[in-house]
Amino acid sequence: MNLILFTFIVLLGFTSYYFGRKKAYTIQSSNKRLTALPQFYGYYLAIWCAIPAFIIFSLWAIFEPTIVKLLVLSDYSNQSYLDDELNLIYEKTKSLSRGQFTGEITPFIEASAEKYLSLRSIAQSSKAVIVLSIIIASVAYAYKRISSNSRTREPVEKFLNAVLFTASLAAILTTVGIVFSLIFQTIDFFKVIPLFDFVFGTHWYPAKAFVRDSSEALDPSMYSDTFGAVPIFAGTFFIAFIAMCVAIPIGLMSGIYLAEYASSKVRQYAKPLIEILAGIPTVVYGFFAALTVGPFLKELGTSMGLEVSAESALAAGGVMGIMIIPFISSLSDDVITSVPQSLRDGSYAMGATKSETIKRVIFPAALPGIVGSILLGVSRAIGETMIVVMASGLAANLTLNPLESTSTITAQIVVILIGDQAFGDPKTQAAFALGMSLFLVTLCLNIVALRVVKKYREKYE
Amino acid sequence: MIKIKAKNVDVFYGKKQALYNIGLDIEENQVTALIGPSGCGKSTFLRCLNRMNDVIDICSVKGEILINDFNINDKSCDVVRLREKIGMVFQKPNPFPKTVYENISYGPTIHGMAQSKQEMDEIVETSLKKAALWEEVKDRLHEPGTGLSGGQQQRLCIARAISVRPEVILMDEPCSALDPIATAQIEELIDELKKEHTIIIVTHSMAQAARVSQNTGFFHLGHLIEHGSTDKIFKNPDNTKTQDYITGRFG
Repeated sequence: MNLILFTFIVLLGFTSYYFGRKKAYTIQSSNKRLTALPQFYGYYLAIWCAIPAFIIFSLWAIFEPTIVKLLVLSDYSNQSYLDDELNLIYEKTKSLSRGQFTGEITPFIEASAEKYLSLRSIAQSSKAVIVLSIIIASVAYAYKRISSNSRTREPVEKFLNAVLFTASLAAILTTVGIVFSLIFQTIDFFKVIPLFDFVFGTHWYPAKAFVRDSSEALDPSMYSDTFGAVPIFAGTFFIAFIAMCVAIPIGLMSGIYLAEYASSKVRQYAKPLIEILAGIPTVVYGFFAALTVGPFLKELGTSMGLEVSAESALAAGGVMGIMIIPFISSLSDDVITSVPQSLRDGSYAMGATKSETIKRVIFPAALPGIVGSILLGVSRAIGETMIVVMASGLAANLTLNPLESTSTITAQIVVILIGDQAFGDPKTQAAFALGMSLFLVTLCLNIVALRVVKKYREKYE
Repeated sequence: MIKIKAKNVDVFYGKKQALYNIGLDIEENQVTALIGPSGCGKSTFLRCLNRMNDVIDICSVKGEILINDFNINDKSCDVVRLREKIGMVFQKPNPFPKTVYENISYGPTIHGMAQSKQEMDEIVETSLKKAALWEEVKDRLHEPGTGLSGGQQQRLCIARAISVRPEVILMDEPCSALDPIATAQIEELIDELKKEHTIIIVTHSMAQAARVSQNTGFFHLGHLIEHGSTDKIFKNPDNTKTQDYITGRFG
């Protein structure tokens, strides 16, 4: 029903566009000067069709369920039901009307279900009638306006402006909403767990929080020595460090090769091939790390007499580094290519060789951009989850031995939130606290990276 | 005395021929101007003289270019040494994004010309003095070269070119991005520099060619139409095309 109505309104929109444009041609043929191009007349009418439809649809979506519920439950108002019971009755009514109800059917509920269905159908048809009549009225009004050849270009441009503004507003509001939900949960968490214990505690063992019987009162003292985040922060930075040890040299060198040495033909094929690396899902990297690299390192280590855990920081960090190579390579390639050719010419004309030119002129000139690309790579390494979960284990060891397993912030959030969670429990809230700290770290990195990149831009434009 | 002798030079960009059978002698310690309409190949010819066309993948150069009787198109030619001897100044000032000092010390450093800090300081000072820039920048040697004015930047590039004491300086429309005052300064400088260097300048300005050069070559559509002393080319050219170009009837 809704779909038919919607299709109909869309068709109506196209029709009014057509009529608006036609009207413009009629005005033009009577030798009057149009105030805008003919299609603006069409857009104008179509907008007058779309806006009322959108408003009524949204209002309906907001108010219809509440009103129907009120009307259905009004039959029960003379009996003294609690709110919860009324809600239950309403849920039963709804599922019965869909034919999905499996419990015992009482005549009361059956009557309610019938009433519910009839109310819904009344609502649907009245919605159709109201929408269509209002659309027709508004399109007629707009048609009258364009007949008198009043302005259409400005309203259309304003409308587009408003639509684009709304889209960006939605993105910003979502971000703000997410940040606020993080903040409030984090504050709740720190009401139970002292900030000091979280930041400086060296023992992370959230599984201990499972042991609590939910009927018992919350006793903060039992969480002491449970949520010390030092091991996982250390693990995060350690794995990110290993990853960057792999990604920076390889990425940078391949970027320099692509930008300066590769012939245009090699570059044409090599660059997309390297960028394919960036398109591989991280899960795939994850099981590559867990099932191929991890066991290989273990075997290699054993043959050399070293004790290597099958899930090691080295395996996770190494594979993560491979994942980040294309970011650094591709970004630094772009940065190096955008160094003006005149600088290269200047250097070559002085008798400098290619490597001297790169080392002394191009690299320093491109450095800010390269640093920016590295920082973006670091923030990806810190935020990466899947590879760590699969390849580096979940036990939060405080270690600097790359051959042992360690864990990261992201992996711990996964551990905490997998399965059933109780809201308002410090264990669940710990995930928010971790998320918040992760957010702060990557935010700082991104701000620094963007600043550096911006500084670079000012230099050459 | 002849410094550079070009014989039968053909240049191709891919399959397109840009220069046809150029033969031109360049006199030592004189200024030679190359003139001609846009796209006539004069800059391409200039870039042959220090093998800057090597940088362009699709460009190939045929024929002989003898500098001090040595063919620079020969396989045995060391491009690094060649470019040390043949300096170049470009159309747009292109100082490196480094300090004024580092811009000048760049060449001497890569050619290992200074053993100590004092020697380097000396090279920087004499180069800047020769480029008539010393008085203006002596207090800001350690500020970025890109912060100078356009004319100063171009003189910085000239100073950079002469820092390695080249025998020849190639100038590719060095004044086209500058205002008349900066242009006059550079022209004065060119006159001064020809005492120690052989200068070849590509220019679009007929007046500039007449003012600064002793010899002129006129290029048209990849051919060297006429060359000789500037006086003769401007007052009594042999070829009607040269006559038409110089009097402004085409180009």
